[in-house]
Amino acid sequence: MVNSIFLQFLTGMQLGAIYVMISLGLALIFGTLGVVNFAHGAMFMLAAYFGVIISESLGWGAAIFLVPAIMFAIGLAMERGLIRYFYTRPHTDQILVTFGLAIVVQELLKWQFGANNLPFATPDWGTGITRLHDYLPFLEGFVAYPKWRLIVTAVSLITVAALFALLQFTTFGLVVRAGMRDPEMLRLLGVNITQRFSIVFAIGVMIAGIAGVFGGPVTQVDPAIGMVFLVPSFLVVVIGGMGSLPGTVLASFIIGLAISFTATIPALANIIIYVIAIGILLFRPRGLMGQKGVME
Amino acid sequence: MSILEVRDVSKNFGGLAALGDVNLTIEEGTIHSLIGPNGAGKSTLLNVLVGLLEPDVGTVMFKGKAVLGNAPYEINQMGLGRVFQTPAIFDDLSVLENVAIAAYAARDGGFAFNVFETPATAKPCIDLAKETLQDVGLFEQRKTEACHLSRGDKRRLEMALCLARKPDLLLLDEPTAGMARADTENTIKLLQRISDKGGITMVIVEHDMNVVFSLSKYITCLAGGRVIAEGLPDEMKGNPKVIEAYLGTESEE
Amino acid sequence: MSKVNTDFYKKDIKPIAIFSIVLLTLPFWFEYIGGYKGLDTKIVIWIIFAIGFDLLLGYMGFLSFGHAAFFGTSAYATGLMLLHFSDNIIPAMLVGIASAIAMAFIIGFLTLKRTGIYFSILTLAFGEMLHSMVLSTLQNWTGGDNGLTGLQSPMLMGMKMDGELMYYFTVIIAIVAYYVARRIIRSPFGLMLVAIKSNQVRLEYTGVNVARYKLMGFVISAVYAGLAGSLMVVYEPYVASEFLSWHLSGHVVIMTVLGGVGTLVGPMVGVGFMLYFENVLSVYMGEQWMLVLGLIFMLTVIFLPGGFMQLFGKMKSIFTGGK
Repeated sequence: MVNSIFLQFLTGMQLGAIYVMISLGLALIFGTLGVVNFAHGAMFMLAAYFGVIISESLGWGAAIFLVPAIMFAIGLAMERGLIRYFYTRPHTDQILVTFGLAIVVQELLKWQFGANNLPFATPDWGTGITRLHDYLPFLEGFVAYPKWRLIVTAVSLITVAALFALLQFTTFGLVVRAGMRDPEMLRLLGVNITQRFSIVFAIGVMIAGIAGVFGGPVTQVDPAIGMVFLVPSFLVVVIGGMGSLPGTVLASFIIGLAISFTATIPALANIIIYVIAIGILLFRPRGLMGQKGVME
Repeated sequence: MSILEVRDVSKNFGGLAALGDVNLTIEEGTIHSLIGPNGAGKSTLLNVLVGLLEPDVGTVMFKGKAVLGNAPYEINQMGLGRVFQTPAIFDDLSVLENVAIAAYAARDGGFAFNVFETPATAKPCIDLAKETLQDVGLFEQRKTEACHLSRGDKRRLEMALCLARKPDLLLLDEPTAGMARADTENTIKLLQRISDKGGITMVIVEHDMNVVFSLSKYITCLAGGRVIAEGLPDEMKGNPKVIEAYLGTESEE
Repeated sequence: MSKVNTDFYKKDIKPIAIFSIVLLTLPFWFEYIGGYKGLDTKIVIWIIFAIGFDLLLGYMGFLSFGHAAFFGTSAYATGLMLLHFSDNIIPAMLVGIASAIAMAFIIGFLTLKRTGIYFSILTLAFGEMLHSMVLSTLQNWTGGDNGLTGLQSPMLMGMKMDGELMYYFTVIIAIVAYYVARRIIRSPFGLMLVAIKSNQVRLEYTGVNVARYKLMGFVISAVYAGLAGSLMVVYEPYVASEFLSWHLSGHVVIMTVLGGVGTLVGPMVGVGFMLYFENVLSVYMGEQWMLVLGLIFMLTVIFLPGGFMQLFGKMKSIFTGGK
């Protein structure tokens, strides 16, 4: 009994771990730049594909470092080359152009790699199972869990912690947080937003990239996963409260756990996230931790 | 006959008392100005009156009915119109369309599913719109897109919009803000003309004392969220409290 | 350029006439430009869908990424009627459209209160939710992944709805739909929709119940989507689960934007263009047609936000000497 609950908990945390990395990038970009990036899921997907290619050709060690770096660069390029021109344009245009980009990325990947699932093998040091019962006394008998899933969860928690450290303890982070609260004020104070915007955007994409390279082996790697993960990520941000990063983190894990614990009833597990979202919309529109009146 | 009664309205914003025990009575058919230094609470009071803000305590009665708790559109349907500080108009629509919207809103109430309406039945509203444009002097530009108007004309358009709704009370938030001399004079004349036509009460928040003293029948002065003086223009001119309120804030700088 | 006319509406005659003539004669010249039988019906169905979508996006200013919810709900309802009730298309279509309306009231109520961005995200989410439900939760009724199969041949007054009959039936509905849309945008109701896009706050303070207008505008666009969905099932008696997917929602977005939002005619061109691409040019282009289309879409949004209509306008001014 304890075993199955604990395992479900672990799976929920692992699911949440992937969601949190994708959603945080989305929330960060939306909170600071006010940009809704419909191509964000595609970024996650792109990173997963890079992960496959690089891990197979240059090894996993290279993949872990290169993929986030590449995604950071792509994020910079995207902001400088495209997104920037849409700050003054109506929001619908932003959504449309990033949606177009999502389709283009998806079709490119489908063209190059086919529509089928690409196998993404975990590295030797991450493959196999962890004998949980060796570490946790409250588990009965033999309880094992895939090592890689634990690694994904750990990586995600580290990434989240690193992001928060960046935001809390650096001047850069201070400017970003101020920008999230009151972008007008920053402009008036003459703070150079433009450069910081690029970096914030790139960080957001990079985090999704980390999700892609580590999460890829767990989720499928096919041209559809971009959109498959985009919708839940949006909902996570909505449930957590737009403009609240802690809310996004909280919501990610709540959703992950909800899906995991309802997994035995597939009919429910597939829609639980929507049920929760509707509940939030009806009874607490600002989200779990959103500020009242922000983006309502 | 009072048309608007504000009783004991207070509003705090996290420790900051924006409004404290405000009592205000507006006489029907008059032009009543609200003055006071910056931060006195004039805009806050205005927001309370149109339903944008809910006070912590107090009531606002308009024509004997409570204003608070109603949606902004309902308050407008009750007869309260608002002219915003920065002209709020429909930029991508033509001048005539702008006012026609108000005319339809006057005729249909909050909502009407008139998807198949014919030009014949719509004509009275369009005529009203044209008439209103004549009143404010914008008839010639009725086909112009609103965003192409000068600021002064936008202000006039907004007023036409509000007037087409046939409000009983019109709240004007700094109608001459940022205007040059000529425009200000024109605005004063326009407001006087509208008031003289009768049937409308106006509450004007203003900084330009010229405007205030040319138009107002009564003046209320706010400072620090409280009413510190009110009365006829002549009484207010030399009122020491008013002077102190304005000069007082200056000497603090 | 104001799109809404407060004057007299004799101006409907010419566009409706052109529209009717083009569509009524289409079967005769379609094959010369590479089209094939059946594709013409599909195009007309999508045109109906796109007209309604333009009312929401181009006129009211709300970008829905979940309109498949209404197309698909109507399709499934129509399909279920054909499967379990009778082969008569009238009750089936009526039930289909009614269910789309009901769905629109629910989704509209939940999503319209928010700002435009939130709205787009939420409509996408609701579309996906329905998609998910049809695939798993309700699969006993919906056939899950396989969709609804084994439907009887749809009949109208004893006549089998296929081929030419189906095409002209659809065209007549489309002509009426187009005319109704034109009347809507000319009406005071239509003026309110455009006012919502222009300045919601101002509208609220002018005594207009903006929430009600938004909801009704949304529902009207859903009626068009539902009509299209039920027609699709009559045209091809099969309901695919894809009818509820974001792909479909995305399709109508692309068609409308490519063609030119807020013009009613633009989206029609967009429909023709995209379906032509998908079904005719793809033979030469292979699997990459969607990639090319995606790029064209992006370029359009970036450089030519008014779509083909804007392009035609520019070309026209070049030929007439410009302004």
